[in-house]
Amino acid sequence: MGNLRLIRQDRRFRPQQQTLGIIFIIPMVAFLLVFVVYPVLYNIFLSFTNARLIKKDYSFINFDNYKKIFTDLRFLTYVKNTVVWTVASVIGQLSLGLMIALMINRKSSGTGLRSFLLIPYVVPAVAIALVTKWVMNGDYGIISYWFQTLGLIEHRQSPLAIPGSAMAVLVIVNVWRSYPFPMLIYWATLKGIDKELYEAASVDGAGTIQSFLHITLPHLRDTTIVLVVLRIVWTATYFDLPWLITGGGPAGSTTHLPIMIYQASFGTFQTGYASSLSVILGLSLFLCVVFYVRKTISNDSGR
Amino acid sequence: MKKALVVLVLLMMMSTLVFAAGSKETAAEPAASKKIVIWTNLTADAQAKVLRKQFTEVAAEMGVEVEMVTISFNDMYTKLATAVESGNVPDIMHTNFAGTAYLYSQDIILNMDDVIDKIGKDDFISSYLHVLNAEGKTWGIPDWALHTSVWYRKDLFQEKGIKIPTDWAEFKAAAQKLNIDEDGDGKIDVYGFPVPLNAVQVAPQTYYEFLYSAGVTTFDPKTGKYTFGSQKKKAVEVTDYLIDLYKTVSPPSSIEWSWNEYRNALVEGTVAMTLDMGAVIGLAQNNNPEMVEKLGCFDLPGQFGNKPASFGSGYAFVVSNSGSATEIETKKEFIHRLYTSERAAERALSRPMFAFPSLYSALEIYKQSPSVALFQDQIATISDAFENSNWYWYGMEHGLSQMSSQIEATTFFGEALQSVALGMQTSVKAVDFIDQQLQEQISIIE
Repeated sequence: MGNLRLIRQDRRFRPQQQTLGIIFIIPMVAFLLVFVVYPVLYNIFLSFTNARLIKKDYSFINFDNYKKIFTDLRFLTYVKNTVVWTVASVIGQLSLGLMIALMINRKSSGTGLRSFLLIPYVVPAVAIALVTKWVMNGDYGIISYWFQTLGLIEHRQSPLAIPGSAMAVLVIVNVWRSYPFPMLIYWATLKGIDKELYEAASVDGAGTIQSFLHITLPHLRDTTIVLVVLRIVWTATYFDLPWLITGGGPAGSTTHLPIMIYQASFGTFQTGYASSLSVILGLSLFLCVVFYVRKTISNDSGR
Repeated sequence: MKKALVVLVLLMMMSTLVFAAGSKETAAEPAASKKIVIWTNLTADAQAKVLRKQFTEVAAEMGVEVEMVTISFNDMYTKLATAVESGNVPDIMHTNFAGTAYLYSQDIILNMDDVIDKIGKDDFISSYLHVLNAEGKTWGIPDWALHTSVWYRKDLFQEKGIKIPTDWAEFKAAAQKLNIDEDGDGKIDVYGFPVPLNAVQVAPQTYYEFLYSAGVTTFDPKTGKYTFGSQKKKAVEVTDYLIDLYKTVSPPSSIEWSWNEYRNALVEGTVAMTLDMGAVIGLAQNNNPEMVEKLGCFDLPGQFGNKPASFGSGYAFVVSNSGSATEIETKKEFIHRLYTSERAAERALSRPMFAFPSLYSALEIYKQSPSVALFQDQIATISDAFENSNWYWYGMEHGLSQMSSQIEATTFFGEALQSVALGMQTSVKAVDFIDQQLQEQISIIE
């Protein structure tokens, strides 16, 4: 408000500022209109049609696509898979990211170690998928061999061929690949916490765990809210790794909504149906995020 | 004045966007006459190398420029669909028969009968041309074909006193005998026969060889009518047999196996037989030469001996119908020049025993190559199957059909079969699900 009042008072510069401001925002507005607003609106429009990738003509079918989705028994399984994949991945990424951030926040950690820890984030998903399939191969994969030797899985079996463990492998690989992002953000936040708080706590007799619980964690609260929102959105819509590693198998046990959308779009070429699935995924994520943020804020204000 | 400036800048930016988008088409027009763009799904080094060499040679002969773009098989339908949607289809496409069916359904390729006549129709193996037929016309020029056979360890068959099986009961008995515990630790080291069920393309390929062997087809080969729905009882029998094989003679992880896994398993000696299109030979030549002479092949027997059909496909050159008459003639002439006997044989030999040339004259050259010298019997078996038996690619029992690309681009076969193998669903329900999905695909195509 204060800034607005200042601008209103300084009328000499207002027209120039307005013009300049408009010119500056034109590229971004144009970008958003072309690459965000238009595709989203067009997607919603398509979701009410029987549009197909292989045919030019289409017609309106009202809510038929949505009815079809909610009467497909597989949809519930895929939703469940999406929730398991997203929740487990986000919890894993944030926990691991925080642990490593705490580790590199110590004086002894050098730039080399920090750079090394960022490697998973820059390795292409294709390379990660190939290596994962290789080490998980039931015949010559080293990890499968260990599991077989320990009697955890059958001889010449692979964790990727068992429904429950295939999802577990995907989550672990995704956590490994994505932890550097929360690590960096947490580390930056940790750097900003006033050292004097820890010194004061120490003088008062607080131990490491107490300092972590009563100083570090409260300072990480806002960062965690942002991270949870971002990671939920990015993970729930992440297609590459699951598709490349398991292709949604075995028996659809790792098929999540992005794979279902891909299959509908480029497998059966049902663009309209795929669009309605996208609308449902987008809307669900939006509601999840709104609910989470509102809940967190209300908890904060209740304190 | 300021408002005018803002409006002017806005207009300039919008017009830049509009003309940048529109300029693609106008800029592409003159380039199309100079350069021929060819897409191929053959990303295997040896095959891509031969194609590139031949394209360059022909381009030099004709004085045109050529650009070869390799697109992995897994990405093919995604790229094709977007290319068709955007109108940027390549001038020539070297793709499999299912890809040809897809392009035909989009009405964007030319019938090639005139070029086939020019090359010499009698020199083509007729069944290769039949696959690419629709409405009495041929919509691509077959380059080579592949045929699914059972590749097996001759040495192990001899050692165990096993004869080539003549029906499914004998086949299972042979596979069971070939479950071998080499070190006596109670664990099977060599499995008799893997049942690869990776949902992306491999599961339907495995399944259809067995379906065809039992006489089940998607469409009636003569009338083109949908028949899978009326053959569900038989399909359940096939499913039960396949899953029984998985549980008794196949490594447990084969439920997720794709081409690489089952081929490597045979070449490395951890399975004794496998269904394959002969790619195991090239793999053995490169990775385990000692295995090459131990390998042989036979046709998977019919359920009760008589085999109605088997599973096979191939690659073809197709030409887009875009461009001026001169450009179309240039593209056709380009294809014509690729069909000398030597060039056709060289392309097939870039993947020996996997690809079999479409021209009789090329097949004669092919047989004399040192890379297939050891396999004259196998060449005779496979050539005989091509010439004298029925063979189809899933969904193309009645000629070119887009159903084939729908099956290829989806995973419902794999999902259904894996569910049965894991005990999550009965074979009856799995077949019902497949029937329902196939009917849905038909409604989408129509």
